[in-house]
Amino acid sequence: MALGGGASTGTAALAAHGLSKRFKKKIALDKVDLSIPAGSVTALVGPNGAGKTTLIRVCMAFERPNAGGVEVDGVDPWKHRSEALRRVGYVPQTPAVYRGLSVEDHLSMARSLHSGFDSDYARRRLDQLGIPLDQRADTLSGGQAAQLGLAMALGTRAKVLLLDEPLANLDPLARREFIQVLLDAVKSDGSTALLSSHIVTDVEDACDRLAILGAGKVRLDCPLEEARQTHRLTEADSPPPGATAIGSFLGKGGKNIMTLWRLAPGDAAGEALETASLEDVVLGYLAAGRGTGLQLN
Amino acid sequence: MLTRIRLTLKQHRFETIAVTVVCVGLTVAALIEAYRLNSLNVPLSCLQSYQGGYMGPSQGPVTAAQAHCNELAKSFNDMRGSLDMNLVQLLLLFAPILAGIVVGAPLVAREIEQGTAPLSWALSGSRRRWLLGKVLAGVFLLAPLMLVVGLAANVLEGALNPGLNPYASFSNYLGRGVPDVFWALAAFAGTFALGTVLGRTMPAVVLALVVCFFVRATWDAGMTHFVLRQFAVQQVQQDQQQQQGYVVYGPGGPGNADMYVYYKSFIDGKEVTDAEVNAWYNQNMVCVPMLTPSASTSPGDSGSSGASSSPGAPATPDKQGSTMGDNGVACQGPNIDPSHMPQPVQYVIPGSWYWQTIALESGLLLLGSLFCGAIAFVWVDRRRPY
Repeated sequence: MALGGGASTGTAALAAHGLSKRFKKKIALDKVDLSIPAGSVTALVGPNGAGKTTLIRVCMAFERPNAGGVEVDGVDPWKHRSEALRRVGYVPQTPAVYRGLSVEDHLSMARSLHSGFDSDYARRRLDQLGIPLDQRADTLSGGQAAQLGLAMALGTRAKVLLLDEPLANLDPLARREFIQVLLDAVKSDGSTALLSSHIVTDVEDACDRLAILGAGKVRLDCPLEEARQTHRLTEADSPPPGATAIGSFLGKGGKNIMTLWRLAPGDAAGEALETASLEDVVLGYLAAGRGTGLQLN
Repeated sequence: MLTRIRLTLKQHRFETIAVTVVCVGLTVAALIEAYRLNSLNVPLSCLQSYQGGYMGPSQGPVTAAQAHCNELAKSFNDMRGSLDMNLVQLLLLFAPILAGIVVGAPLVAREIEQGTAPLSWALSGSRRRWLLGKVLAGVFLLAPLMLVVGLAANVLEGALNPGLNPYASFSNYLGRGVPDVFWALAAFAGTFALGTVLGRTMPAVVLALVVCFFVRATWDAGMTHFVLRQFAVQQVQQDQQQQQGYVVYGPGGPGNADMYVYYKSFIDGKEVTDAEVNAWYNQNMVCVPMLTPSASTSPGDSGSSGASSSPGAPATPDKQGSTMGDNGVACQGPNIDPSHMPQPVQYVIPGSWYWQTIALESGLLLLGSLFCGAIAFVWVDRRRPY
């Protein structure tokens, strides 16, 4: 059962109910319940193999769930694919571009495939980044290719943006640029974004919600600020009074075993302790999910 | 849709350029070879009297005109049998299938291999519409190119068989003309269906090569056995030589116009089996190996598809009661009235039915293409884009 209090507030732009997906014997998603409020930017964080990509692929109707289902802006993508996909902008894990086609060709293709595609909007975004429209897409840098993918997703003017680890192969400058463009677009369009990543620091500044996925289960789903405020990190032998232990892992430097605690409401003594970083929160929940109590930082 | 077609061709520019260059090159080569043959200006009579060096039944002294005639016919036959001519004919035969495979294999498979399918499928609500755009690009590329190649092959066929109307003859009819378009489309549809199912380009190519060549190799036999048999009619005795006991081979022979489908044998007006015919010969004839005209290999019989002079055709008795088999064995029976000998009757599709037959076989190929296409359209809607 996921912890968190913000999931039920507001209209859900994306919701999963008891979603399960299995690949032969491997369980990728195990009865996932998730609700992403409209207008939020949610970080979907988890280690490799946690099920982040599978969750997004189910939302894109690339995978059929074994049980449960998802709704994108109220539409089940598996039952009403075209209707659901009209509401989604998607940025795949690796920036896939058509070799031999120019940037402009990509926009033309997007326009021919998606009736509501706003080429001018996408073109303006690429212009702002100084990406030449006549350049062949396979000669773009990794960051430029990612920006092209984002521009194509934004050009759909979709209500929901699903970004599957788009920052994984980018250098720090390109990451920052990418996130900035994304945030500007979300702010101006009022859309909802789900940004998956296995690197917490990538999404810390960009997102206002956090969903932690570990071993196919949602470990935490709450606003980012709430995640920071309600968790504390201490050494294993000094628990805040009334707090619930989440998970223990090897602290920075590899010397001490640290434990993440979730504070009880109104725990004044616990609140006096220094708040846990977002990375610590994620590590604590992932360590709990693995059940070993130990997690290398 | 036009944008998608343009971008699909641009995306597959290597295949587009390669197929275009090969088809144009092959067309030019076929026309050049046809021009070379036509420029010899060999009279039809020379070709008919010159069958692989055998000068026909006349045993008189060779005149200067006959020698010249022989020389021309020999040049013509040498050119027909030359390496470049055979190469062009071979390429013309397989070009439609190869072009279809080259264009069809990467159509969907490469998108899946290179990871671009999720990009397109996320943008397009309907994967079938997406696939339709790509398929139309392939059709628009292949159809005109193959029509041009097929027409050039018709010109070459006409040059190879002077006096033969390529549009009223079944000589090599599946390797030229309109069928080329439908062979290419069938190979294209089969291959992109395989690419869609397998999601890999090279396995699709290999499997398509095996399947297409198997279908091509068995098509003639399958068509004559299962489809054309019911339309075949008794062949009209139309050739003087045939009546004299010679199976007609070579350029200009009217035997090439009809498509041999099957034959029946009759003895005294009663239909008999092959075994009964053999029994009759064993009982009534004495067969000895002989060097005969019919034993020589015909230069004109270049693998024509189901022509009436096909190897399956039976030996024909002459008026003297002798008959010659394909293996150079002549049989002689003592004083038997030829009218009481086994009479083989050939059933053929007449050359005048060329267009109807082409329409039928092209229609069947189109049906096969649509079936393969339907598999791809169903599959693309269900498969993962990776």
